[in-house]
Amino acid sequence: MGIGPSTKETTKHHFKDPLMELLGEDNDCRPAGVIVAGIAANYESKEFVIRRLGTWVSALKPDGVLVSMDSWGNSHLDFNLLLEQLSSLKIPAVGLCFEGVQAEPVTLNSSQSKVIDINKSADGRETEVLGENNINSQDARKALAMLKLLKKKQL
Amino acid sequence: MVLKAEALSKRLVIKAYHIEKLTLAQETAFKGSTLDLQEKHLSRYISDQPLVSNIEVGILNPGQLQKDVPAVLDVIPIACKALGNLGEGITHVLTGVCAVLTLADTSGKPPAQIGSSAGLLSEKMLTDRAGTPAKSDRIILVQVTLKEGAVYKRQGIMAAHRAADSYLQTIRDQLKNRDSQAYTEKHVYEDQLEPGKTDVLLIKLLPGQGAMHDFLVLPKEPCGVAGSRSIIDLGNMPVFLTPNEYRDGALRALT
Repeated sequence: MGIGPSTKETTKHHFKDPLMELLGEDNDCRPAGVIVAGIAANYESKEFVIRRLGTWVSALKPDGVLVSMDSWGNSHLDFNLLLEQLSSLKIPAVGLCFEGVQAEPVTLNSSQSKVIDINKSADGRETEVLGENNINSQDARKALAMLKLLKKKQL
Repeated sequence: MVLKAEALSKRLVIKAYHIEKLTLAQETAFKGSTLDLQEKHLSRYISDQPLVSNIEVGILNPGQLQKDVPAVLDVIPIACKALGNLGEGITHVLTGVCAVLTLADTSGKPPAQIGSSAGLLSEKMLTDRAGTPAKSDRIILVQVTLKEGAVYKRQGIMAAHRAADSYLQTIRDQLKNRDSQAYTEKHVYEDQLEPGKTDVLLIKLLPGQGAMHDFLVLPKEPCGVAGSRSIIDLGNMPVFLTPNEYRDGALRALT
């Protein structure tokens, strides 16, 4: 497994993504689109990709952004760079990623964006059980509720 | 959002066909709500993949997850385009069944870095999660074996996915032609601007660093492999998908 079985997002996960299912049903919000980007190995490429994501977002001007990441470790660099970029664009954003106790971010999120830890395991570690530490509908509801509060400047 | 309404106004219809029984047979075929699966003479599905040593197909009925597997490479819904391109037109999808792809090399090594799901499926895979089969699902178990050492190569992982995709395409080819009125569920999704609603963009960061750190975008068939592009080959650059493209299986996980 690339990162680990418990956080691994399978093809079925993308097909039945709880974030997209919730956005499709919500009374106040609608899904404006999905941008997928790869997490590169070297820092120069990480910065390059995140800058291009920032350009996409400033062109599309969404009311809010949900950022999900299927990775941890050095990938938190990309994740936090993106949240900082969104914050500097004054676009409300909520991130979702695995942290637990094993994957404490290597850099801290210094932006106004909020982060939800999607760990479900009792000891906060990679459990090697497929599906255990994935985003579920409860994480999605929490993220969207936080995004709505951020938009109203109540969080 | 600055996009004009017509830029996104595509309609996607997903028709579900429920499967109540899987059987192993000479040829893949639908018989009502029963799906026959070709069990033998599978070499033609791997003949163009030199890194693949073997492919086997089995069935796990609900409650039969006490099966020892080397590692779960992917859980794949079975869906096909009956009309139009990905993200528009009509998609047929099977419910009550999904494919589980497992992988090892001829020496038994799984493709693993930080842990492996090797072991009993009942212990190594939760059911009823977005990314895993439902407890009531029937599983098409596709077990691919690579040549020794190929599980650590990007080409090896791709070859395993291509071999499984080639087998699953025989199901998709027949699913395309199922009676367009005989579906068990129908869902209609409109990609359009809705005035007054908050536009929320979803950004997904996924690994793009090599073997088991990769994903494919925009295959020809929902959740498929053929016709797709690897995010590593695309330089990890951001790719925009409409909500309906994403709902229609625009991503294939290689993680």
